[in-house]
Amino acid sequence: MTNTLVIAKKEMNSLLKERTLILAIIVQLLIASFSSLLVIGLASFFDPSALSNYDEKVANVGIIGDGELRNFIEKSQVNVYYYQDLASALSDFDNNKIDGVVVIPREDASGTELIRIDIYLPKSDIRGTFVTLQLKKPLEDYENYVRDIRSKRIGFEPVRLYVDSVPKKTSTYFEFIYGILIPLLVFTPVFISGGLIIDMFTEEFERKTMELLLVSPASFSEIVNGKMLTAVLIVPMQAFLWLLLVSFNGVAVDNIAIILLLASIIAVIVVVLGAIIAVKYKKRLISQYLYSLILILMFLAGYLFADSPFNLVTRLSAGALGTEALASFAAYAAFSIPLYVYLRRVKIT
Amino acid sequence: MINIIIMKLLTISKWEFRKTQLNFSLRTRLLSVIILILIGAASFFVSQSGLHINDNIYRVIVTDPALLPILNTDDKFDVYVAKESDARYMFNQGNFDVLIIGTKIIHSDSQKSISALDALDKAIKKYDEARLLSYNDLNDTFPVWLNVKNIAREQAFQPVSIQKLPEFEKAREDTANAPTPAIENAVSENTQLPSIKEFTDIKTSSPLQEQTLATPSHFNPPIPFKSVVLSFIFIFPIYFIAQFFSSSIMEERVKRKGELLLVSPLSSSQIVLGKLLPYLLITLVTVAGMTFKLGGSPWIILILLPVSLMFLSTAFFGAIIARSFKELSFVLIFLSVFLSGYIFFPAMFANIHAISIISPITLVVKMLENEPVSISEYLFSTAPFYLVSTLVFMFGIFIYREEDLFTQKSIRGKLMDSLREFIARVPAPLFFLSIALLPLAFSIQLMLIVLMFNVPLRIGILVFIILAALIEEVVKSVGIYTVFSKKTAKVTTASALKSGILSGAGFFVGEKVLLLVVVASIAGSVFGSVMGIGLLVFPLLLHISSTTAASLSMRYLGTKNYLASLVLASVIHASYNLYLVRGVVFD
Repeated sequence: MTNTLVIAKKEMNSLLKERTLILAIIVQLLIASFSSLLVIGLASFFDPSALSNYDEKVANVGIIGDGELRNFIEKSQVNVYYYQDLASALSDFDNNKIDGVVVIPREDASGTELIRIDIYLPKSDIRGTFVTLQLKKPLEDYENYVRDIRSKRIGFEPVRLYVDSVPKKTSTYFEFIYGILIPLLVFTPVFISGGLIIDMFTEEFERKTMELLLVSPASFSEIVNGKMLTAVLIVPMQAFLWLLLVSFNGVAVDNIAIILLLASIIAVIVVVLGAIIAVKYKKRLISQYLYSLILILMFLAGYLFADSPFNLVTRLSAGALGTEALASFAAYAAFSIPLYVYLRRVKIT
Repeated sequence: MINIIIMKLLTISKWEFRKTQLNFSLRTRLLSVIILILIGAASFFVSQSGLHINDNIYRVIVTDPALLPILNTDDKFDVYVAKESDARYMFNQGNFDVLIIGTKIIHSDSQKSISALDALDKAIKKYDEARLLSYNDLNDTFPVWLNVKNIAREQAFQPVSIQKLPEFEKAREDTANAPTPAIENAVSENTQLPSIKEFTDIKTSSPLQEQTLATPSHFNPPIPFKSVVLSFIFIFPIYFIAQFFSSSIMEERVKRKGELLLVSPLSSSQIVLGKLLPYLLITLVTVAGMTFKLGGSPWIILILLPVSLMFLSTAFFGAIIARSFKELSFVLIFLSVFLSGYIFFPAMFANIHAISIISPITLVVKMLENEPVSISEYLFSTAPFYLVSTLVFMFGIFIYREEDLFTQKSIRGKLMDSLREFIARVPAPLFFLSIALLPLAFSIQLMLIVLMFNVPLRIGILVFIILAALIEEVVKSVGIYTVFSKKTAKVTTASALKSGILSGAGFFVGEKVLLLVVVASIAGSVFGSVMGIGLLVFPLLLHISSTTAASLSMRYLGTKNYLASLVLASVIHASYNLYLVRGVVFD
């Protein structure tokens, strides 16, 4: 036991001395900021109400024809220009005077034919996005209007729920923070530790220092346990740091202690797996390759079912789940036992 | 003579190839095939059943049991049924996000509750659409159809709602006056007729297909799925192969096998090239295979060549500077994350904004859509990759020698070694070092531009100006720092002045040449103007004076206070640039 702790301490010192841990934290910070940029940036980009924070820029849209849709578009926030024919509208479109053209057909809601609307948008242009976003609302309103009239003919009754005050609602931001960002932050240290344990072992094998270690009083299983202990211990430490950081940014994270426990359990599984690969294959090249493949597999599998570690962290952090999650934890913890038994049976010849 | 060199080079390639191959025993190969099949199966299931990451995230309590099956169609909801009084009590306990009494929704003010409302809205819409679809009567259920036609037109290159700078107005008018392509040709005649099948197609359409026919509720702006997917498909294998390359180099260092090669008559650049060759070939073959699979033009390989070189060069450099496996892992992860970000973010704006051609992946997207890619676009997006990877290889080869490969020198020490080698080997080193490091500065700045698009514009420009100045000042003064910190050289005021002028002038010349080639197309944006387009005399004076300030301050304060010298130079530099764009930042 003391030997295990000696080895763990030695590994921890080397992590701190080489500043690998600091680099690891910077890497995670980069990954986190990239992914939040990705989704929050995009969410605000595609959310018209977020765009209104910029100058009140309205889309200029040309309209041809005077069907029912015209009223809906006029009532919306777009600037409407009227044209007699497509050619003149497209010429203004081409000169950047308008950024979209809507051709409104004669067919109206009381008819029986499909109402087909042609929309011309600039290709590969941010203004096409603007126009799309601003036209969506009137078009959807119009669709509902026509559907209300027509679906009665076939006896369709939509599900209707009522709400008193309608707040400005969006679920994108919330679902990103709890569904993607927090699980990612909690589990990146786990994945990093899996790679770390492989580096710890393969380096000893390739530098042939493992032989020296083996003649020391520490037994092989003590060496293995010591290294794994370090790799596992740094996981909840880092995860705690991230959850703290997220909380400072005004995101309430529930059940932090339970989440850290889960991160540690998964860390044990991943680190033991990494150790098995490293002890079996001994070479960094091959071990890291196999580990990366398994990592991709685990990552995909994490999205496959409810109660996956990702999903558990999502629900725990959002407060949709409490101590009752501990039951699933037991299953994961049990999973690590056969892995550990297998690791102990791997020979180091 | 050249033949012999090539022969030797190929011999090294052959050794390297065989060495890597030996690592893959039959069992390893079998194992990786099994894992790959499992990955395939897992991704198939993910694509079929969707991501289950937000399952049961919202807790809803209803009084009408009829709502239960409706809400259960969406996995996000954890639904309970209770009598009204019980339901109200449970909701008030705070464990539920939404309470539905009859058909009336009650919610709280929490963010989660409001998100739940939005999710509820979407779920019901989806449920209704599924029911409507079952009537099999499109004219009465999905009566409105949009036929979207995307037409190419000249776009004024300009970030969202950035005000124009008066000085650069002219340049933009020129581009606006360029002849516009005839619309008739550009409009693709799309006379698809909607049917039930079309509708299910919209919902299940893969992200790689462009949407032209939609109902209003499925009418959405182009989402950059395609670029995201493609980035992953192409970058992943390249990253993997680069990992092998670095592992192999590192293994030689650790086992000291490389020493034998070093004493051979081959130069270090020949050894490195020989080792690189097999990995580069494997990368290109892999890329070619994927291109073929996706049905793209062979030119895509040419677009991804500089990307592969970039990953391989950084992997090589990482393996040279790292002291241990752990350090190598993290240096490589760091570099790859940075590189992927650089490739990934601009590509997300493919089909949205012209800035996206910074990333070669955008060109790949264009090629796959059978759109033409011009030579200037190719140069614009790949030149930084070619230049930086060449530079990285060069600096790596400089320290591909006994004392750096087989000792425990720190990363910083090795970087200084490369710089020292450069200074020793190149005539007028300070002048050319600024030029050589320029692409690096340029790449980091472009990366910054992309990041700055996501913060409020004014702050973004301000932060960008300061960081851009800092990066340029580091590039210009790091050579001077290297020379001055060597104890043997005597530092005088005259030499400090000379170094500052040489370094600043070098940067200026390099910048102008590079800008002529590649930045022309973003000249219109404010960010482009900060990067140095404008009058020529002032930038020259600026680069020289800021670097000379740094150089002189190192002369008097000593190289220990390098940071202070850097800050001084950056302040001078940034204030000039701030003055240039004052109209945008302060008004």
